[in-house]
Amino acid sequence: MTDTKDPRDPETPDEIPHFVSEEPFDPDVEVVLTEEQEKYYMAGQWQLMWWKLRRHKIAVAAGIFLLLMYLVAVFAEVVAPYELQHRDVRNTFAPPQGIHLFHDGKLIGPFVYGFTSKRDPNTLQKIYTPDTSKVNRIRFLCSGGYRGSEFEFWGLFKGDFHLFCPESNRKPVFLLGTDRLGRDMFSRIIYGSRISLTIGLIGIVLSFTLGIVIGGIAGFYGGLVDNVVQRVIEVLKSFPRLPLWMALSASLPAKWSPVYIYFGITLILAMLDWPSLARAVRSKLLSLREEDFAVAANLMGASTKRIIGKHLVPSFASHLIASASLAIPEMILGETALSFLGLGLRPPVTSWGVLLNEAQNIQVVVLYPWLMAPMIPVILVILAFNFLGDGLRDAADPYK
Amino acid sequence: MNPRITIAALGLSALVAAFTTSALAFEEAPAVQAEVEAGKLPPLDQRLPNPPSVVGAESVGAYGGDLRIAMARSRDTRLMTVYGYARLVGYDRTYNLVPDILEAFESENDKVFTLTLREGHKWSDGHPFTTEDFRYWWDDVANNPDLAPLGPPVLMKVDGEVAKVEIIDARTIRFSWSKPNPFFLPALAGPRPPFIYRPAHYLKQFHEKYADPEALQAAIKKRRMRGWGPLHNSRDNLYDMDNPALPTLQPWFNTIRPPAQQFVFVRNPFFHRVDSAGNQLPYINRVLMNISDGKLIPAKASAGEIDLQARSLFMSHFTFLKQAEAKEDFKTRLWETAQGARIAIFPNMHVADPAWRELFRNKDFRHALSLAIDREEINEVIYFGLATASNNTVLERSPLFKEEYRDKWARLDLDAANELLDGLGLTKRDGDGVRLLPDGRRMEIVVETAGEETEQTDVLELIHDTWFEIGIKIFTRPSQREVFRNRVFSGETQMGVWSGVNNGIVTASMSPFEFVPTQQVQYQWPKWGQYYETGGQAGDQIDIPEAQELFNLFKLWQTTEEPERRAEIWGRILEINTEETYSIGVVCCTRQPVIVADNLKNVPLEAIYAWDPGAHFGIYLPDTFYFDDVAGR
Amino acid sequence: MLRYIALRLLVMIPTLLAVSAIVFLIIQLPPGDYLETLIAEMQSRGEAVDQNQIAALRQAYGLDNSPVEQYFSWLFGLLQGDFGWSFEHNRPVSELIGQRILLTFVVTFSTILFIWVVSFVIGTYVATRQYSVSDHTATLIGYLGLATPNFLLALVLMYFANQWFDTSIGGIMNDEYRNQPWSWGKMLSVLEHLWIPVIVIGTSGTAGMIRRLRANLLDELQKQYVVTARAKGLHPRKLLWKYPLRVALNPFIADIGSILPEVISGSAVVAVVLNLDITGRMLLDALRAQDMFLAGSFLMFLAMLVVIGTLLSDLALAALDPRIRLSGGTTR
Repeated sequence: MTDTKDPRDPETPDEIPHFVSEEPFDPDVEVVLTEEQEKYYMAGQWQLMWWKLRRHKIAVAAGIFLLLMYLVAVFAEVVAPYELQHRDVRNTFAPPQGIHLFHDGKLIGPFVYGFTSKRDPNTLQKIYTPDTSKVNRIRFLCSGGYRGSEFEFWGLFKGDFHLFCPESNRKPVFLLGTDRLGRDMFSRIIYGSRISLTIGLIGIVLSFTLGIVIGGIAGFYGGLVDNVVQRVIEVLKSFPRLPLWMALSASLPAKWSPVYIYFGITLILAMLDWPSLARAVRSKLLSLREEDFAVAANLMGASTKRIIGKHLVPSFASHLIASASLAIPEMILGETALSFLGLGLRPPVTSWGVLLNEAQNIQVVVLYPWLMAPMIPVILVILAFNFLGDGLRDAADPYK
Repeated sequence: MNPRITIAALGLSALVAAFTTSALAFEEAPAVQAEVEAGKLPPLDQRLPNPPSVVGAESVGAYGGDLRIAMARSRDTRLMTVYGYARLVGYDRTYNLVPDILEAFESENDKVFTLTLREGHKWSDGHPFTTEDFRYWWDDVANNPDLAPLGPPVLMKVDGEVAKVEIIDARTIRFSWSKPNPFFLPALAGPRPPFIYRPAHYLKQFHEKYADPEALQAAIKKRRMRGWGPLHNSRDNLYDMDNPALPTLQPWFNTIRPPAQQFVFVRNPFFHRVDSAGNQLPYINRVLMNISDGKLIPAKASAGEIDLQARSLFMSHFTFLKQAEAKEDFKTRLWETAQGARIAIFPNMHVADPAWRELFRNKDFRHALSLAIDREEINEVIYFGLATASNNTVLERSPLFKEEYRDKWARLDLDAANELLDGLGLTKRDGDGVRLLPDGRRMEIVVETAGEETEQTDVLELIHDTWFEIGIKIFTRPSQREVFRNRVFSGETQMGVWSGVNNGIVTASMSPFEFVPTQQVQYQWPKWGQYYETGGQAGDQIDIPEAQELFNLFKLWQTTEEPERRAEIWGRILEINTEETYSIGVVCCTRQPVIVADNLKNVPLEAIYAWDPGAHFGIYLPDTFYFDDVAGR
Repeated sequence: MLRYIALRLLVMIPTLLAVSAIVFLIIQLPPGDYLETLIAEMQSRGEAVDQNQIAALRQAYGLDNSPVEQYFSWLFGLLQGDFGWSFEHNRPVSELIGQRILLTFVVTFSTILFIWVVSFVIGTYVATRQYSVSDHTATLIGYLGLATPNFLLALVLMYFANQWFDTSIGGIMNDEYRNQPWSWGKMLSVLEHLWIPVIVIGTSGTAGMIRRLRANLLDELQKQYVVTARAKGLHPRKLLWKYPLRVALNPFIADIGSILPEVISGSAVVAVVLNLDITGRMLLDALRAQDMFLAGSFLMFLAMLVVIGTLLSDLALAALDPRIRLSGGTTR
């Protein structure tokens, strides 16, 4: 395009002309980011975390599941077809009814088959046989109108609206069967979620605060402070957790109402949980503060507070979240274990632990296995917390 | 007045009349025979007392076999003393007192008791059992402040007067008081008898008075005891059967020191009972007591790992056990129970809140509560319809029973209940339909339970609904047994739930104390009971006339001897209890499942499972149980 | 290092004293005492109580003394090796603990071994295959044990073991081997029963271990030196074993001290369901019955194990992580 000779031309060796591109030149071109890059690099830590979390499909699913469970716990009265106290004494130990869609080859929407029952004169067991001529339809988003449909929402106002309901008391729907008093297991599990799910949340808030503050102080300052905290943690952790729970719950004043007992137990669970968290924080801090960036920050004269808050805490947030996501289900399990030993919540309070306690004998395993159904939500919720925790942990990873 | 003299000679005299003991050719177990031949034991005629106690059973059995039973706690070894039921005097199956360890006893007006031992009776270690063993207990145990800081047991005192104990000869001893002590003989026949004899020859080595001081000091030190008293006490538990070295008179004795997972009880070769054919009892060689958690016992039973079991089995296990019968070789029997009420509600007369106290002391209020319980529904739902709606009173089996005691105020009549409450001026109700107390509070009652069995909370759930219809809202609060008791005792608890009277099959000669304020554990009036128990040092004096009348009747009964008069007093006591409904019974006559292995014989098909009188299996004499296929075991 | 160990040993003394005070407080907390519990239990069954026996016991065990006096007499006893007296079993506590120690060790160590092996395998496997299907599957398996309430799992396993393998219900061996000397048959019987508690207690511990191992290993694997090493062509397996795994094991080792009480706690509940004659179970029973010296000395004994375990884990940590070691140990 120009007339200038090729500089390498052997025939014109004497002079090499200076080449200047005529293209406009931007000296910052290597540093300037695309819009997308800019968004990524300028995003805050939590924003990044969220983006990364979204890639972790199972964690997202677990998160949504947990969200749903907590929603269910909040709206337990609406989700459960029967009110907590409702009993159908004619149908004790009724087995779960399967949901059907087709009857006689025709689609008639979700329904269950009714059953006939008689008592075995020899074993005195009530035997239920499904009766395929009885079609008990399930209504959705319905206003009850049957016994056991009325409720007081959080004890505040009365209601009669349900997510789904049976047609009438004569055509009951027991998705998960009934217990020895004819109470609908499905409804009981729904109501039980309220206590079981919140016990972990409240507990973790308490133990988290304690754990981070105390562990943080110990880990960063080291020396005497660390020593003292270490000893306290050591003392608290020297006990097998369960006996300590037992002894402490045994000493909860018996005159306390169930609500106080509930908070008492939450507190006990939290009091024994923070040391492990504090210990994790401390050991993480101990190794982190040896890392170059912390040393650098220190050398540059950053204040302790700043180093901990800006540099160290984000570095081990992943570890904290991992611990927390384990601690919540541990508390849920702790509640069930205490209830199992007869030291936690007790009937008529309904929690998953209480329900499982009622199911933990061999005749249930053999005769009424559906009473073990509360195991399913317990397992699912705990798995969900674990997967969500995994996802969060990976997402919070600062090295990625 | 002619002194009423009871003389009972020779156990089960009817049977003995058929054979004279000398005519019996005594037989012994092959296992024991081998030991005799090996020279380890003296021959049978030197081991049996003369005369032995001859007991009848359905059939004459065969020797051998191990009886497998299960208990929940290591401490439950004591149940073998209960089941063994070797007592100075014991109840027979119709609840008459008959001599057992004793050859004979004589009672003059319940004031003077003369006990005669069997000649040649021996402890399980072969040492003679004589009145020295009684003397040792009385002089060196009961009246030794180091061993018994409180002095002789209450049973040995009547209105503060301590028994006079005379040893007449090596086989005869007399206890006497100036006033009647009608509790003495029944206590000896109880499931937990006051052992008024101790194996002196064994225990003296631990007694300061007899032991070699150096050896005693060494023993104290070796066992880390705080003195000879605790050492002696720790060795001296005839009831607990926790010391294998302690000689006993029971049919089997323990060979394993607790704690253990399995206790092995072996036959006492010196046992004093023989069957009607002259075979020395017990038939069964060993009793193996496996310690398992109470919740596992039904499971073990269903797996055929138990031969005989009632403890830790409940009606709720019945279906499960019945189903397991198909696979395993045992049957589940349903025995009657003796409790006056399986479940009873106790309004606390001493509740701290004055408004409630006034209501609980009003019989119309109690009647209203009782009328508003749907007992039939409770029976159907919780007890498979096998129980009976009933007040907390005597059972139909008792000669004192009247239908009115059971049924009055025990029907479901919500209208009548509402009327009664309206009649008390409790007419105001709030929006929920809950009545209001005169001071405007809602009528909400917290019913407390000991929190052990869901059965109680289940019953309360059912009661909740019908009481709500008469405008009373209840809340159930489970706690722990000790807490529950202490709160009831102190008046913090409004209402408690527990079982009714323990013995509903009373006769006129049995004490009516369970129907009268005599014990702190009577949850409707703990403070009055405590007042009596402590002789006025604690608790409150009875301050309502009906209860006072009950108490007076009780005192009258103690000093009354004629059976007819006693029955009259009993009648009046039961009448007052019915009319006042101090405790609100719910159902009675529930059944006790009993597991019996198919090859285990002589266990009654139908019987009453009761603690006192009865000692559970005790009065059915487990030493007469046997396996009919010992060879196959 | 020696000085560090000596220092740590010295520090253990106040720790143990504090533990003993807390232990005593705990066993005193529930209302009532052993005798009250005993009386309540007897009376509730309609059994008469021998008041004399009670009074004598009360005197003999100093239950009427003030709690402070009781504490010190217990503490001095402990110092002299006297663990106190069990009311419930009517024997010295030391005898009771001694009887159970063997089986307890068998169960505890089998369980810890199980936890280590399973979590090590699964943890390393999943960390190197993040987000793959096998990661999720292995994690799910690892977590299932945690998610299932121990007591129900134990109950169900026990039932099916009885149905399918005819294993006797409850206990660590068949009833007929109880009180028998050790023999081949007894060993087999123990093994036949042992797997249930080991799996049940173990699986609830593996989840935590897997998670921590995975989390730490992932952290480590993304560090510069690993990237560098990988870039330089180090064999992946060698790379994994050489540094990241060792570093990731840090909290793993820090947990030796805490895994022990966890296993013992877990074993207590499972022991109740399965009726195992191990220490955890006796501790629960003692706490329930308020058999205070048994419970107290027992808790003390466990606490000592843990304190020693923590010390060992700190030492191991220092040995493993030069950064901690060079800066003078964790306590500095």
